[in-house]
Amino acid sequence: MAFNLTRRKFLQSASLAAVALPLSKAIASESGVARSPFEPVGSLGDTTVVGGICEMCFWRCQLIGKTRDGRLVKLEGNPKSIDNGTSICARGNAGIKLLYDPDRLKYPLKNVGERGAPKWKRISWKEALDECGQKLKKVTDKYGPQGTCIFPHGSTAKYPMHFFERTVGTPNVSEASFFQCRGIRDTAYLATIGKAPGEKVDMPNAKVIFLLGGHFGENVHVSHIKSYMKGLQNGAKLIVVDPRYSASAAKSDIWVKIKPGTDTAFLLAIMQYIVENKKHAIDFIDEYGDGFDEFAEAIKGWTVEKAAKECDVTVKQIKEVADMLADNAPNVSIHPGRHVSWYGNDFQRQRSLACLTGLLGAYYVKGGWVPAVGPKVGKTSWAHKEHEEEHNLNVNSDDEYLHPYTPPGTPTELIRDAALTGNPYPIKGCVIWGQNPIQTIPGQEKMKDVLRQMDFVMCVDVMPTDVTMWADILLPEVSYLERYDYIKTGTQWDFSEKHQQYISARMPMVPPLFERKDQVYITNEIAKRMGYEKDIPINSIEELVEKNLKVAGLSLEQLRKENGIHIREGKNPYQMPEDFEVIFYNEDIEDAGFPGAPTYVPVEQPPAGFARLLYGRVPVHTFNRSQNNVWLNHAMPSNPVWLNDALASKMGLKDGDEVGFINQDGFKSRTTTTVKTTPGIRGDCVYMGHGYGSANPLMSVGVNAGVDDTSLITKIAVDPETGAHGMRNNFVKFIKDGKIIDIPSAA
Amino acid sequence: MQYGMIIDLERCVGCHACTIACKAEWEVPVEFGRNWVYRIGPAMVGEEMASTYYPGLCNHCTNPPCVDECPADTIEMTFTDVKSGKKETMEVAATWKDPFDGTVQIDKSRCIGCGACADVCPYNARFIDPSQTDDVSDDGKADKCTYCKPRVDAGGVPACVQTCITGARIFGDLDDPDSEVSQYVKKGAKGIEPTDGELGPNSRYYGKKKDIDLLFSSHTPELADMTQVRRRAMLASMARPAAKAVKNLGLLGVIGAIAAKHSIDSESQD
Repeated sequence: MAFNLTRRKFLQSASLAAVALPLSKAIASESGVARSPFEPVGSLGDTTVVGGICEMCFWRCQLIGKTRDGRLVKLEGNPKSIDNGTSICARGNAGIKLLYDPDRLKYPLKNVGERGAPKWKRISWKEALDECGQKLKKVTDKYGPQGTCIFPHGSTAKYPMHFFERTVGTPNVSEASFFQCRGIRDTAYLATIGKAPGEKVDMPNAKVIFLLGGHFGENVHVSHIKSYMKGLQNGAKLIVVDPRYSASAAKSDIWVKIKPGTDTAFLLAIMQYIVENKKHAIDFIDEYGDGFDEFAEAIKGWTVEKAAKECDVTVKQIKEVADMLADNAPNVSIHPGRHVSWYGNDFQRQRSLACLTGLLGAYYVKGGWVPAVGPKVGKTSWAHKEHEEEHNLNVNSDDEYLHPYTPPGTPTELIRDAALTGNPYPIKGCVIWGQNPIQTIPGQEKMKDVLRQMDFVMCVDVMPTDVTMWADILLPEVSYLERYDYIKTGTQWDFSEKHQQYISARMPMVPPLFERKDQVYITNEIAKRMGYEKDIPINSIEELVEKNLKVAGLSLEQLRKENGIHIREGKNPYQMPEDFEVIFYNEDIEDAGFPGAPTYVPVEQPPAGFARLLYGRVPVHTFNRSQNNVWLNHAMPSNPVWLNDALASKMGLKDGDEVGFINQDGFKSRTTTTVKTTPGIRGDCVYMGHGYGSANPLMSVGVNAGVDDTSLITKIAVDPETGAHGMRNNFVKFIKDGKIIDIPSAA
Repeated sequence: MQYGMIIDLERCVGCHACTIACKAEWEVPVEFGRNWVYRIGPAMVGEEMASTYYPGLCNHCTNPPCVDECPADTIEMTFTDVKSGKKETMEVAATWKDPFDGTVQIDKSRCIGCGACADVCPYNARFIDPSQTDDVSDDGKADKCTYCKPRVDAGGVPACVQTCITGARIFGDLDDPDSEVSQYVKKGAKGIEPTDGELGPNSRYYGKKKDIDLLFSSHTPELADMTQVRRRAMLASMARPAAKAVKNLGLLGVIGAIAAKHSIDSESQD
């Protein structure tokens, strides 16, 4: 406590005061305010460093840094940026706490204990690289290039991923960004409009913004949020479909409190209603549509009444949503979503969104889906090599695709099954680069078994994430603030403003500390040791960036002169390509054995006593990558579980009660969190933020903070068209004081 | 002139960029904050569901109770208006309201760490940083939002305003009727006045009616219990000359230094 004056101290002080009084008075009157050394100086006087590209998440805002005595003390948005401007989010602002995190990996480490229960021994880079090179070569020699798998994430993982995929020839690549996130969206839109959609909706100029599960504010990407907010400020109506009253629902005009898993039924009914009432964009569909009649026929059964029952919403609300969309078409943003690996029926839902956009004529129009026309830069990397035998786990013995609409790489579950069974081939080498498959991929125990049976596991990361506990060799990487690499390109986000393009390359803001190295160094050194020296495409990361910038007529020196960002005239993004079409009914999908028109596949409902576990983003964390950041941890130290308040009172639970979980397979959470009771969530589900509950004691801040939602996702669902995971088909009960508490049925 | 800040809750998405930028700018210890963002709800407001945020900070009140309660020695201090160069001299304790820009500031060199200002602030906008001890205070120093005075005086904007990703934080002169902040006040932006208080908070909130209702119903504070605050302040005030004496150790001479040292040593044995 601040105030702890004891009587004794008081008396002593008072007697001393008698001596001191005259002197102190004299001093006070002759001087003004002396600056206290405790008065922080602020960043105004610091040196500005340009060239930062954030990587606290994948959105990659452009930064400037403030350095004092060689130390980075603050990050800010680059004022020259036409993307994020001077803004960066909480995570961006907290970047310096990643940079100087005392828990960061510092030296190459060798596991002299067991996988999963490591004992780390510091070794030299030479020893580490020798071991990685020799072990991976041994695996390749014995099992072929298909004997290795790779789990990459982030901008440093591209270069090593290309080395293993293109040069060594391993087909077993599982990127979390595809198979546990957005891959389904991308291939569903590819099968509908021939393009991956990104999040390219022209929200600033929309009359209606439609979000299916999108929870902006909890999910933050700076220029995307700016674009959303501009739309709302410009008067766009907001429709949010979510079982939970999310941050976006709180700003919505219509909140559709949908039953989890039934989104496709809801979308089909909206489309059926629009077609039935001839409110669809008839001219647009005539010109750009394909298979519309078959599509209209296929969705006919989805009356609003049927969907209302299935989705547990009212007929009136479905009509209200459909009318609002149709009445404001084509200037409507049907948001394609991003993390869409939900229920294992997701390809069809994403197809529905793409078709709904077409039905409203909302492609390449103000407020619709509009892809920005950005500048081109080089893509220097490893060359594709010819390999004797092509291996693909996604093709069966009859040469048929198991998951024909897979995103790039190989579906994670096929890799894991092959590793565990040895069929069709063994997988004995594992390279994990920037990804944390333990807290990213459902089925943690299965992942651990996969890692246990490997001959060799290597990890490269900045932090000792949970998966690093499973490495044989653990290599420390430089962070995004200490290296060259990513070239960020784009345009201004409000297309009603002057069209501009920007190019900005990541440059180090401070030199690396300890023995951390970059991805080109590490990959090349391993390549040399595996016998691929002559295939090395570039000698340093700096050289790679220069080469890629040259394609755009730029150089690092030029970018530095331009304060880190080159800006030039842009192009009209509303110009529709000549060959553009919207395939409503897709025969190829039908030929591949799946429904050619968007189709609803019901999902399993929670058994009695359980509620569905839903998870989502909190604004201060990116996946599980930022959980050890001391500032971000302090902002949201745990991930309280949202529980419907009416059910909570039946269960005898109140706000702040400490609870754990048990799921339908009897798996118990390792840690606990607190209860948040609210009317803002349905009774058939509970919700928690993702990115908590690390199990690695080396993460001194994030370890055991909150509950790891991924640990409770033990039942594995796979989206049949894509092979990507569905992660919202697990059900939980609560545990309080060691007692299991059933969740009453919502009714 | 009276600086003020508007928080537009229609724009705020609760992202915490403001709180982290502040931490970085002013090296605020991890466990404290000069500003904060609390999520409120979802809860029912009448028949409607609502959820909003309480992005709070020092209100730089028109009648700041913290200033009156500071028991530190007063000194004569000359203030300069950054814009006009005009000067004004006032008798101030270790915290004061600036006569030109209306911000409430702290002099850490004279703060005795008694915590009276923090106790009297109904918004909990002040904290005592116990790590900041010197010969004036063993108990730490008061700290809070300064409206980024050094940045603003240099022509910049507060760090939280600069980083805000949606433009939800607007800073300016509430006495200037043409300023953006004044426009917001005309539209109905209001400060959170404690029950029966007349503090005149100058950080003000604007938003949808249901959100404002939710914010004000859940976060309108009570005024501090003055008997408690005053008792502490009085005790601290009586201790003050000793602190001064220790600060001016060099001038006290050897006997004084020994006495001061003795005072510190015996205290640590308590």
